Amino acid sequence: MKLQSLRTDDCVGDVIKFYSNMVYRLAFARTGTRHDADEIFQEVFFRYIKKQPVFENEAHRKAWFIKVTVNCSKKLWGSAWKRKIIPLEETLQFETKEDIDLYNELQQLPAKYREVIHLFYYEDMTTEEIAKVLERKNTTVRTQLTRARVLLKNILKEDYDV
Amino acid sequence: MFKERYSHMNNQIHPRDQLLQDILDSAHDGDCSKRIEPLRLKRPVVALVALCICLTMAMPVLAATVEPIYQLMYMVSPSVAQFFMPVQKSSESNGIKLEVVSSYIHDNIAEIYVTMQDLTGDRIDGTTDLFDSYSINRPFDSSAHCQLIGYEQNTKTATFLITIDEWGSQNIAGDKITFSVREFLSHKNKYDGLEIPVELSSILTAERTQTVSSNGGGGKDYQSYLDFERNPIALIPSDPMEAFPVDGIDLTGIAYIGGKLHIQTAVKEPLDNDNHGSFYLKDATGTDISCNYSFSFSNQYEQPGRIDYHEYVFDIPQEYVSKYLLYGDFVTSGMKTKGDWRVTFPLESTE
Repeated sequence: MKLQSLRTDDCVGDVIKFYSNMVYRLAFARTGTRHDADEIFQEVFFRYIKKQPVFENEAHRKAWFIKVTVNCSKKLWGSAWKRKIIPLEETLQFETKEDIDLYNELQQLPAKYREVIHLFYYEDMTTEEIAKVLERKNTTVRTQLTRARVLLKNILKEDYDV
Repeated sequence: MFKERYSHMNNQIHPRDQLLQDILDSAHDGDCSKRIEPLRLKRPVVALVALCICLTMAMPVLAATVEPIYQLMYMVSPSVAQFFMPVQKSSESNGIKLEVVSSYIHDNIAEIYVTMQDLTGDRIDGTTDLFDSYSINRPFDSSAHCQLIGYEQNTKTATFLITIDEWGSQNIAGDKITFSVREFLSHKNKYDGLEIPVELSSILTAERTQTVSSNGGGGKDYQSYLDFERNPIALIPSDPMEAFPVDGIDLTGIAYIGGKLHIQTAVKEPLDNDNHGSFYLKDATGTDISCNYSFSFSNQYEQPGRIDYHEYVFDIPQEYVSKYLLYGDFVTSGMKTKGDWRVTFPLESTE
């Protein structure tokens, strides 16, 4: 994601369009369903619209969106009754069987591992950056990433280059 | 390898167009709306004359309701009103007619005038609000905005202007779009600068409080007081204050918690009315003091009987609060009407 393409004083609509995929994909990575990702997506951007926070730079804004998305996901995931009402078929149609298999296997990881995997492999963030934005110790993030990699190898039983 | 496969899977994940559109619509009244450039006259004079002739010829055929709409069009966009193409496709449901009157395509923007007319009653009025229930299905990525621009009492017709801004470089002319509405609110009441009959000097510290799960909040100090992880401490709702002068919103609590003044309102079935508001204090000089932060929570979500509580928190020491008066701004709606209005029409360029 090219952060320099936005300015910190850009209008709300431009910011939403720019970060919409990032927020949605992170929400989906953590929750695994469209239903929850939709809710988190709305909550994150409603907070942004309502607060219209000011940022020092674009990296600061990106970090804000990641942090709020993860926190909103936690809040949603913590609600037991919500988990009960999620329709099982409410997910995405992927293009290939490989995508579907990967999605299914990822869903077996704990959510906290999935978010670290997503930020590391998809958002190209370092463990230091992830630790800062998630307000965790760097050692914690590294441990979670290592455990996630082990679980992925065990689950997929393939020689994934992770 | 994993990185590539993971990226390939993730690149297929994106929010639905309508979801993104709803968010953009919500944001549109913010700073983006200020950045919309005024429409410019870009069509050649020949096109203008041709279309004026076209409209003039079409006018006698149009019903009496159409003329005020064209007057509105001239008022809203005088420099481009001539370019609108008559559409006149309508849909009727629940005794109410939705009509797409005209559209105008220029550059990558489509402007569409739509009317809603109550054929049997008085459910449409000058406060009609489509209540985010409208949707615009179109085969291209875009942002859209819909606003009430006028109401004609004689014909009970409300006129809306829809603006669709296509994001890419494709030509949107020639595509078909579908405009649909599921429900609307009307008979809204607006209370601006309403003095609330509360003797602030008699406000006490809350004896009992509750920790709630917040739906969100705002205000200048919101982040300082309510981090995303923390659940706010709220008043326990009491019986509504009888003297609260807003129908549709209850004042269910006012007390000090932790040295801060908390004021709580309750709205029953908020998804059916969108009743909302805010409080502020006035000091002796008449200066308005906004709340430091506010948050909301609900008793339940997806079952009948939902109540949304809003709590407004002021950082005013209890010993000084008697120097202030409490005011509020509120909006409530008196009626919600459901239906199934849907019109599909082509986007035709004037060129």
